[in-house]
Amino acid sequence: MKKWLAIILSLVMIFSLFAACAPSEDPDPTDAPKTTDPVDEPTEPVDPSGELTLENIKVGFVHITDPSDQGYTYNHNRGTEKMVEVLGLREDQVINKFNIPETSECENALRELVEQGCNIIFATSFGHEQFVLKVAEEHPEVEFCHATGYQAGMSGLDNMHNYFGSIYEARYLSGIAAGLKTESNKLGYVAAQPFAECISGFTGFYLGALSVNPDVTMEVKYTYSWHDPVKEAQMAQALIDSGADVIGQHADSTACATTAQQNGVFHVGYNADMRDAAPDASLTSAVWDWSIYLQFAIETLVAGEEIPTDWSQGLAEGAVDISPLNESIVAEGTAEAIEEARERIVGGWGVFSGPLRNNEGEIVVEEGETFIEPASAPSWEHILEGITVTE
Amino acid sequence: MQTLINLINAAVRSGTPLLLATSGEILTEKSGNLNLGVEGIMYMGAIGGLGSAWYFEQAFGSGILAAIVCFVVAFLLGMLGSLIYSILTITLRANQNVTGLTLTIFGTGFAKYFGEHMGNQAGGYVAVSKQTTGIFTYAPFASLADIPVVGPLLFSYNWMVYVAIIFALIMGWFLNRTRKGLMLRSVGEDPATADTAGISVTRYRYGATLIGGGLGGLGGMYMAMVGQNGIWATDCVSGYGWLAIALVIFATWSPLRAIYCAIIFGGLDVMYMYYPIKGLPTQIYIMLPYAVTILVLIFTSMRQSKEHNIPAGTGLNYFREDR
Repeated sequence: MKKWLAIILSLVMIFSLFAACAPSEDPDPTDAPKTTDPVDEPTEPVDPSGELTLENIKVGFVHITDPSDQGYTYNHNRGTEKMVEVLGLREDQVINKFNIPETSECENALRELVEQGCNIIFATSFGHEQFVLKVAEEHPEVEFCHATGYQAGMSGLDNMHNYFGSIYEARYLSGIAAGLKTESNKLGYVAAQPFAECISGFTGFYLGALSVNPDVTMEVKYTYSWHDPVKEAQMAQALIDSGADVIGQHADSTACATTAQQNGVFHVGYNADMRDAAPDASLTSAVWDWSIYLQFAIETLVAGEEIPTDWSQGLAEGAVDISPLNESIVAEGTAEAIEEARERIVGGWGVFSGPLRNNEGEIVVEEGETFIEPASAPSWEHILEGITVTE
Repeated sequence: MQTLINLINAAVRSGTPLLLATSGEILTEKSGNLNLGVEGIMYMGAIGGLGSAWYFEQAFGSGILAAIVCFVVAFLLGMLGSLIYSILTITLRANQNVTGLTLTIFGTGFAKYFGEHMGNQAGGYVAVSKQTTGIFTYAPFASLADIPVVGPLLFSYNWMVYVAIIFALIMGWFLNRTRKGLMLRSVGEDPATADTAGISVTRYRYGATLIGGGLGGLGGMYMAMVGQNGIWATDCVSGYGWLAIALVIFATWSPLRAIYCAIIFGGLDVMYMYYPIKGLPTQIYIMLPYAVTILVLIFTSMRQSKEHNIPAGTGLNYFREDR
């Protein structure tokens, strides 16, 4: 009797676990776009000619976290929602795989998406790339797009594509808000990984601050994880303790913002407008509009054209921008300074314009020259003068 | 000097949820249950506390009542987690390790599911208001914090820190100075003998595990309400449950030692952010708390002291008919 009860209870635990996991596989019906009336449309449209149209295309996504991070994945998912609305897709045409770590679990998730009939699959985290490459090689009939990666070109696969954008341009603008706000002239920056993606980001942020505040310095700390709210909060605290009074971040959660709020200092975010999370601390955030690429890639595929191997856009095209300024706390003149810089960047001025020195005093970009990223994935890895990286 | 004070402050802050969860786990293990589900229990407490405060605010507004609801529900959800564990191991005698590990997976999934659900409902951040989180970050002795050195070291913390220490003190007194505590320890050391002496093994194990789980729930709630300032972040516990289990060994099953061990552990966990060592890879530096735990395990097993060892009956289910 007791044995049976034990078995039943364990089964209940296992099933409730599945129940807890299951909804993350599909977008919640409550927030899915209601663009079409399900009565008018057949649920499984079958096109006899086998031609790919917006009615029968299936789109898959692999995300490292879920939208509750209110950061990278949340923002990317908003891009998905916007794309779905603009293109008029039905909710069963989009399959999301959330909380997929950068391990072989990613490979399984990709295969599942292929089996579920996806024609195009987006993987959004840097570490997903090797698994995308592997599955892309086995399934030439499916298009794979990987954000932040750099290996599509050298892989030689026609169905493998990379996409990213010049987020450092948006960070440059957000850095202006930080540079004008700081009183201790010391910025703190919580970065996820010692990769070029983060380094080019905080360099843009620092150059923005420097452009309005020549005395500013910055300390950078790495969490070695894209998403670890506990570490992010502790790092932000350590930076505040060492005298920083504006905290920037390249990390996925709101922990830096809330820690700044608790300490009465200021914060510049990434990926999401964080004014709700930290109303007295969040100045602005550098944000993406992913829908531009998603829409472009899907439309290109449906039109029967080639998706470019490498795609990158920036401030001028609206792929990156900053969220609205927190008017009540930004320093005076912030909006004007940002507008002025925006016009410069849209007009073709490069953020990494010389003369720039690294923290050992060597010139890395000569006066009159500008470093331009050769591909969508950032490659800038110089630590500039004025930036201290404590590892 | 200032850096050292900052480090100690940071150590106390990250040590507090550890202390709560660890004293809960010590009570549990003293009764003979090795509950490896602390991580899951902390997640349940985190989402229970944050979620109840959030829903309460939607219905009745923010303030002290929302904070009380948050505190109580976090404790209850922690108890619910350990109730599942207790039924499976004490009543049904399922393997303790397996049950604990399953509970970790269950609790984590439970929190993530409801967190995502609430996020969809909120259509953005699941954020508890400043009025409510302000109650948890309220520092009762803030006026004394201006005293040089001693002030920031002793009086700058929020009240949850002092409550966690008081819980640990009460537990130390209970285990070592009261009759019931003695009985509880006897149940953990040798349940058969305790049973012969007329002590109800089942009742003591249930009681200790449930209260222990409740404390774990409070630890999780602290991480969500203070650590993340009342905003739901998917990985807000991120392995602290496992740290708490390691800390039980580090504190050698004594809630009184757990007080300073938790602060040391919290300090080791954040030390690399305050005192970077040139040339030492951070990855190695981050291992410190675990390396120290292994050293403590080696030393305690070398000393063969009964007092500093795991209770003899811990990890084993008690079958009365088995004798």
